[in-house]
Amino acid sequence: MTVVVLPDVPGLGGLYARAAASSVRPRRQTDLPDVAYVVRSVRADPAHLTDYQHLLAESASDLLPAGYVHVLAFPVATALMARADFPLPLVGLVHLSNRVTQHRPLSLADTFDVHATATNLRAHRTGTQVDLVTTVSVGDDVTWRGVSTYLAKGVFLQGAGEDDRSPFVPPVPTGQWVLASDTGRRYAAVSGDHNPIHLSSLTAKAFGFPRAIAHGMYTASLALAGVGAARGDAFDWSVDFFKPVLLPSTVSVRIASAGTAGGFDLAAWTSVPHLTGNVTPTP
Amino acid sequence: MARRTPAAAPETTLPRAAYVLGGNRIPFARAGGPYAHASNQDMLTAALDGLVARYGLQGERIGEVAAGAVLKHSRDFNLTRESVLGSALSAETPAYDVQMACATGLETVVSLSNKIRLGQLESAIAAGVDTTSDAPIAVSDRLRRQLLDLSRARSAGQKLAALAKIRPKDLAPSAPRTSEPRTHLSMGEHQALTTAQWGITQAAQDEVALASHQRLAAAYDDGFFDDLVTPFRGLTRDANLRADSSLEKLASLKPTFGLGLDTPATMTAGNSTPLSDGASTVLLGSAEWAAAHDLVPLASVVDSEAAAVDFVHGVDGLLMAPVFAVPRLLERNGLTLDDFDLVEIHEAFASTVLTILAAWESEEFGRTRLGLDGAFGSVDRARLNVHGSSLAAGHPFAATGGRIIATVSKELHRRGPGTRALVSICAAGGLGLTAILEAA
Repeated sequence: MTVVVLPDVPGLGGLYARAAASSVRPRRQTDLPDVAYVVRSVRADPAHLTDYQHLLAESASDLLPAGYVHVLAFPVATALMARADFPLPLVGLVHLSNRVTQHRPLSLADTFDVHATATNLRAHRTGTQVDLVTTVSVGDDVTWRGVSTYLAKGVFLQGAGEDDRSPFVPPVPTGQWVLASDTGRRYAAVSGDHNPIHLSSLTAKAFGFPRAIAHGMYTASLALAGVGAARGDAFDWSVDFFKPVLLPSTVSVRIASAGTAGGFDLAAWTSVPHLTGNVTPTP
Repeated sequence: MARRTPAAAPETTLPRAAYVLGGNRIPFARAGGPYAHASNQDMLTAALDGLVARYGLQGERIGEVAAGAVLKHSRDFNLTRESVLGSALSAETPAYDVQMACATGLETVVSLSNKIRLGQLESAIAAGVDTTSDAPIAVSDRLRRQLLDLSRARSAGQKLAALAKIRPKDLAPSAPRTSEPRTHLSMGEHQALTTAQWGITQAAQDEVALASHQRLAAAYDDGFFDDLVTPFRGLTRDANLRADSSLEKLASLKPTFGLGLDTPATMTAGNSTPLSDGASTVLLGSAEWAAAHDLVPLASVVDSEAAAVDFVHGVDGLLMAPVFAVPRLLERNGLTLDDFDLVEIHEAFASTVLTILAAWESEEFGRTRLGLDGAFGSVDRARLNVHGSSLAAGHPFAATGGRIIATVSKELHRRGPGTRALVSICAAGGLGLTAILEAA
């Protein structure tokens, strides 16, 4: 496997622009590039962390929320997806699910390395999906691992697959998220993800959405923040995304103890389901 | 008419002891520094979580948590409860907010320890927080009334009429100030009056400031604060601490208060506390609770006395209430100033400490104002603020009480049984709160 060491975590804006330019070229690859992207010696900035924590209604502690680690690390995986030989077009990819395992929390004082690969290219009912695996380590110690599953709709590299997710039944809500029309712009400012589908109705319409949509990772991170300190230091945080949240929107949520199984169940919905998942403490 | 026999007097038992079991704070920052964007809730939660980590309280249901902030936004009506919910404490821990100007932190210690003494609580956390960087800003009173009128207006005409009343000058925000609502003098200007009245020199004030910096720096160097302070946002020590301060440097600073008085202006930025950001917590408990949690009591909270002065009409200086609280407190407990191994007098200004001491040492003041035969007494400087105080550490208003109580309790425990401490905090509004602690 080829290892590409980037000098810094790349900006998402440049990656989208590059990917958009290359998407007009025909893609011939049907396999994933055998490559890993690496950025060494990453540190969090205190002011940036505070902005993130306040946006997500997290208390501004020195510990990095797991969703914030995603913000810092995932652009490395995006750089891999923006390669000309990546078989799926970056622009228009749909975030289907996200699974994070945090072994211990990172803090402002930590210097860490980010490692990203793409695996498991496979068929989906409506196209082709792929897993982006991002790991964050301090020295040899892996502290955080994220698997982000993306779907390229209408791209059939290996035929069509099945949707094996069970149908959504709305539970009793525990609260709601009142998401203003600038929600996408505010998360974009903190996450660096200025994908036009999140920024305004006009730019979202250009990509086939009736209005701007919330970032999936923003809603997933809001759900994690809702669990609070009860998530502990080590946990699995897993979410499946359904329909995008059209902005502005008031979303019903349930973030509640999963009962005897331990951990917390997460769900967010309006007239349609948006997100389900769970946060499970690990030993 | 039948006479009732009087009910038997309830059997009175002395209340049990309430102990300080530990404390934790974040380093205090100067306003506009590394905590500039941290809210009161952020800092209080960080200090609480540090305490939780230090004493193994994850998921623990504490009897009650009381805390407060002097500068508090109205949306933070449940600041303490919200901080508890954001912390690693059990979500079933009750909490309430307290506000008593700069005495807030000490008042939470006093009221919670009284509840423990009465048997209402087994454990408690007393705390305080303040930010002058992230302070709430209100709209002007006129604009506030007009906006409320606007929200009540029904027709378009009514709405327009309400809007038309708003003038550009109404739009100026009103930031919180440290000036007294009745005298319109800042706290510094008030203290300048008291300083002049007692003839305190700048040199004497600078000596107090220098000792504060040197003693706090020495305590950090000795590791005294290793189990009392949790780093936050890159700070590991109080940002205001100047270990290399000197009398020459302090003397070179220009006076900032009392410039309009006939007497020489003596109060500088060096012998006054800076605007600060920070939070502190104190863990309290009964002997039984401490034993069940393998915690060692450091000191017991013995008694407390509050006082207030009529500074509005110039009878006494704004920050002089402790001068009256302490004699009442000591008389009730049969003690004199000589009975204390440690005396903590909050350094709002260096001259606050000096004017309080001067009043206690004055024969005339003792006779005419305290009703004594002569002077109340004097405090050996070697026992005063032994690990430095607010001049060096900074003074995030409501967080100062917790800083002092945790520091002095640890020092009492170090010195051993039989040692005793007096704590005095002055506050806006002419308030003062004082307390006695004894080594456990």
